[in-house]
Amino acid sequence: MLQYLQGYLSQPVTPGEAGNYLWATVYIVIVITGISLVVLAMNWGERKALAHMQVRLGPMRVGPHGLLQPFADAIKLMTKEDIIPDGADKLVFWLAPVVIVITAWTTFLVVPFGRTHAITDMNIGVLFMLGVSSLSVLGIVMAGWASNSSYPLMGSLRSSAQMISYEVAMGLAVVSAILMTGLSDSGIYLHHAGSTAASGVGTLSMIGIVEAQAQQGTWFIFKFFPFGLIAFMIFAIAMVAETNRAPFDLPEAESELVAGFHTEYSGFRWSLFMLAEYSGMLAVSSIAVTLWLGGWLRPFATWHGPQIVIPHYWQGGALDLASSLLPALIFFLLALVCLAGVIRMPRIPIFRFQTIGLAVFGLLLGFIGLVLLAPPVRDRIQDIFWFTMKIAFFMYMYIWYRATFPRYRFDQLMRVGWKVLLPVALGVLIVTAVVGVLR
Amino acid sequence: MSLAPILRKIFFVDLIKGLSVTFQYQNPKEIYTEQYPLERPAIADRYRGLPRLNVNPDTQETLCIACDLCALACPEHLIAIKSERNATTKRKELLTWTIDVSRCMFCGLCEDSCPTDCLELSQDFEFATYSRDFILDRDRLEKGSEPTVYKK
Repeated sequence: MLQYLQGYLSQPVTPGEAGNYLWATVYIVIVITGISLVVLAMNWGERKALAHMQVRLGPMRVGPHGLLQPFADAIKLMTKEDIIPDGADKLVFWLAPVVIVITAWTTFLVVPFGRTHAITDMNIGVLFMLGVSSLSVLGIVMAGWASNSSYPLMGSLRSSAQMISYEVAMGLAVVSAILMTGLSDSGIYLHHAGSTAASGVGTLSMIGIVEAQAQQGTWFIFKFFPFGLIAFMIFAIAMVAETNRAPFDLPEAESELVAGFHTEYSGFRWSLFMLAEYSGMLAVSSIAVTLWLGGWLRPFATWHGPQIVIPHYWQGGALDLASSLLPALIFFLLALVCLAGVIRMPRIPIFRFQTIGLAVFGLLLGFIGLVLLAPPVRDRIQDIFWFTMKIAFFMYMYIWYRATFPRYRFDQLMRVGWKVLLPVALGVLIVTAVVGVLR
Repeated sequence: MSLAPILRKIFFVDLIKGLSVTFQYQNPKEIYTEQYPLERPAIADRYRGLPRLNVNPDTQETLCIACDLCALACPEHLIAIKSERNATTKRKELLTWTIDVSRCMFCGLCEDSCPTDCLELSQDFEFATYSRDFILDRDRLEKGSEPTVYKK
């Protein structure tokens, strides 16, 4: 069993490429569980960070500093009465959250958390992700239409208009990044094994794109400076609009449309919408990370530092060693924060349960940190760690935007989409192509 | 059109300024809210809350001399006082002192008119009750309200 595990884990391909259905299923389960957990954490993190940005405290009651709040919310939403309005189209009303969650989760099929840590690698990976994630607007329109109510309908109409106008700019930005995979400074870029490659032809495969960045020794955000950066900015703006987040949250504008397309939803169905929204945010962030921020590559991946040899543990560059120890260090830091919280907890009998819980959690984090120090785990966790950190950065940016920017009016939204982002994206695409060919 | 506003737009100067403001507010020192039932809020001394009848701390006797000035001062005539002349000491003694707080606007004129510092508007702000008995009597006012202490 152990040998089989080791034998499998040493394979340099994703389970999808290897045609291994069992491991593909395992990966799918792991990824979906991970997404759900991240959504829970994100729920807490967003409420907390948003609260602090608005000089509030945020959740404080359930668990230490409200850490258990998302679980309490989840239980509440599960046990809540599920209302279907009388005039609603029952089937479509039932189907809408299902569609939206399925589309949000399907995109993760091709997200490369690492060279081998993806469910599968498609040669049309980016196209697949964009296509499936733009299907989520179908779920929104279904929800708005099936509710048989004016606010949801308005919200879903806005949503479809918004998606269409920002999808264009987004697609053009993506194309300019894909062009870069084929346009190398140092002549011919060869694809990874399994795809037919010709010189100067890019790739749409998510793994192929990251490998192109590894091979060219630069993240595409810095390539052909500043054109990579501009394309990235366009994508970063368009992806906020795509996921209906502030300041582009017109489909669910609280002050205008109650809750927009999910006004009539409650309980578990509503929580499915939230799950899909946050999964969608993760999905588009992972596209941005893969295309421009070097996917699972660590920063300064081409620098290795001086050679260091630690017997039975490490042989290689000092920078590589430092970056490989970083995940464990971060877990140790979190554990320290937890244990400091245990010490700072008031010594009152009522707080005893919380204090013990926090201590156990801190010890657990420390234990995970220790596990991450072990060489086989350490080497395997590297790529996942950097990919996750980059996505976490985007998640924080989402919260930050929401706390800072007021909502666009609908005509402003359309103006930004069609009159600014689209021409700039087109221009960047053309310039990237020209610059790349001339070099 | 001058160049500066265009450059401001292109480099997102205003947006970055806004982002930096919200980022700085993340400092936990900036937090303005309190966890009310757990933490008692700090109420200013000048706050005009529920009236209180002060007693002499040594003898536990009321400071009220039943002069009726507060009842006269009240613009809404909410205060009703009954008193009795003590035959031996020849002094007026307080029998009942009631106020209808449901109509009180906490203007503080009664407090100002009191010659003995007996009547005082306290810092007590928790008026919610389970009964509709808003006419408070002397016992209640001398005791002051006793808010439930919230522990958890």
